[in-house]
Amino acid sequence: MAMRQTPLTCSGHTRPVVDLAFSGITPYGYFLISACKDGKPMLRQGDTGDWIGTFLGHKGAVWGATLNKEATKAATAAADFTAKVWDAVTGDEVLTLAHKHIVKSVNFTQDSNFLLTGGNDKVLRIYDLIKPEADPQEIAGHTSAIKKALWCNNDQQILSAADDKTIRLWDKNTQEAVHTLSFDASVTSMEYIPDGEILVITYGRTIAFYNAHSLDLIKTVDAPASIHSASLHPEKDFFVAGGDDFKLYKYDYTTKEEMESYKGHFGPIHTVRFSPDGELYASGSEDGTLRLWQTAVGKTYGLWKCVLPEELSSENSEVLYCPPAEIKA
Amino acid sequence: MKTPVSVLRLPRGPDPNSRGFDPNSPRFLALCPTTLSSSSSSGAVDEEEQRLRSDLRERFLRTLLLMTDKQVEFNMHEKVRVRARFGASDIDVLNFQVSGLETPLGVQKEALLRCQDVISCSFEL
Repeated sequence: MAMRQTPLTCSGHTRPVVDLAFSGITPYGYFLISACKDGKPMLRQGDTGDWIGTFLGHKGAVWGATLNKEATKAATAAADFTAKVWDAVTGDEVLTLAHKHIVKSVNFTQDSNFLLTGGNDKVLRIYDLIKPEADPQEIAGHTSAIKKALWCNNDQQILSAADDKTIRLWDKNTQEAVHTLSFDASVTSMEYIPDGEILVITYGRTIAFYNAHSLDLIKTVDAPASIHSASLHPEKDFFVAGGDDFKLYKYDYTTKEEMESYKGHFGPIHTVRFSPDGELYASGSEDGTLRLWQTAVGKTYGLWKCVLPEELSSENSEVLYCPPAEIKA
Repeated sequence: MKTPVSVLRLPRGPDPNSRGFDPNSPRFLALCPTTLSSSSSSGAVDEEEQRLRSDLRERFLRTLLLMTDKQVEFNMHEKVRVRARFGASDIDVLNFQVSGLETPLGVQKEALLRCQDVISCSFEL
């Protein structure tokens, strides 16, 4: 029996949500961090969306946020010209890394020992978190503001996307650009899938998939509207994308067919990511909310409960919350 | 018409009074053992602080109640001093609703004062 998707709305932010990231799967589940223009990034339990804490300290809009695999550390990039590292268990600020301009992106290596930052001063920086007082390694080359910088290929290389309409693959040791991709339009988002070495890029209405080593194009898919972010399912059977028309689109990765589209947000979608187990995906929007969506609609998972038709009308349904047609944020 | 998927409850939102990161959560207790002893010894101190906070908050709210319909003088930034009849505050104390606001440009029948601009206010009991 086909069911209608019930997104779970996570409220709390007061301005647009511009970035979000999941941790890996830890003994305590997995976690989600959201970056918001209100300057207060939040940590949530990944499978329920329950708020855990707010990282307080930034004095400007937070443009990028990330968690390490174990969800013990968080990093944020902000308009106050700093990147901060936080203890994701206590919520305490651990390190403030001063930059010369707005910082847009932060990313940990797998061992959590190095932090990569990139932003409006066009320089990539690598900070050694064991020796944070030491000067960061700097990689210059981009000719405009860097939007996103990611470690890839076993943390030996770096992928960066900038407003100069290029994506560059750098070798961490030689600090040289190994490959460059040029586009006609600004790249709006980038996601790296280590298992399978796939790079997911969005620009204009296009979602493009590249090999992360060679930067060879695998395939492209065009959406009905301008796309700001896309994410590939860990098993690579679907991907989701969202952008200007407030809708979330779900596509079959193999056939490139649009499978579903979901309305729900009241503003453009800025960021969308699959959870590490692929059971749900989260979207962040201009409307200030995060929404969680089920990959398999109707399955019992997190706060969603599979209800058989007999149960809906039985006496035992008082624990269940059957959403009305419109759930307000 | 498809049936919408049922949910057990909605995701919990932020606590307005704290930044979260519950020190009693299983994850915190497991990963931060060194802070456990310090938090239990300062437990009594925290309780006292909470009691004081509650007292102050209650006094503030009672003051707002007493102010209702009274002539209040507001001391604001940029050396602004205005008088008005206090009506009410919004729930987050972001705005005060006032009537008969006396300004250098005349008396404003109904107005909202932005609380972050108010330094202090005084009134006769």
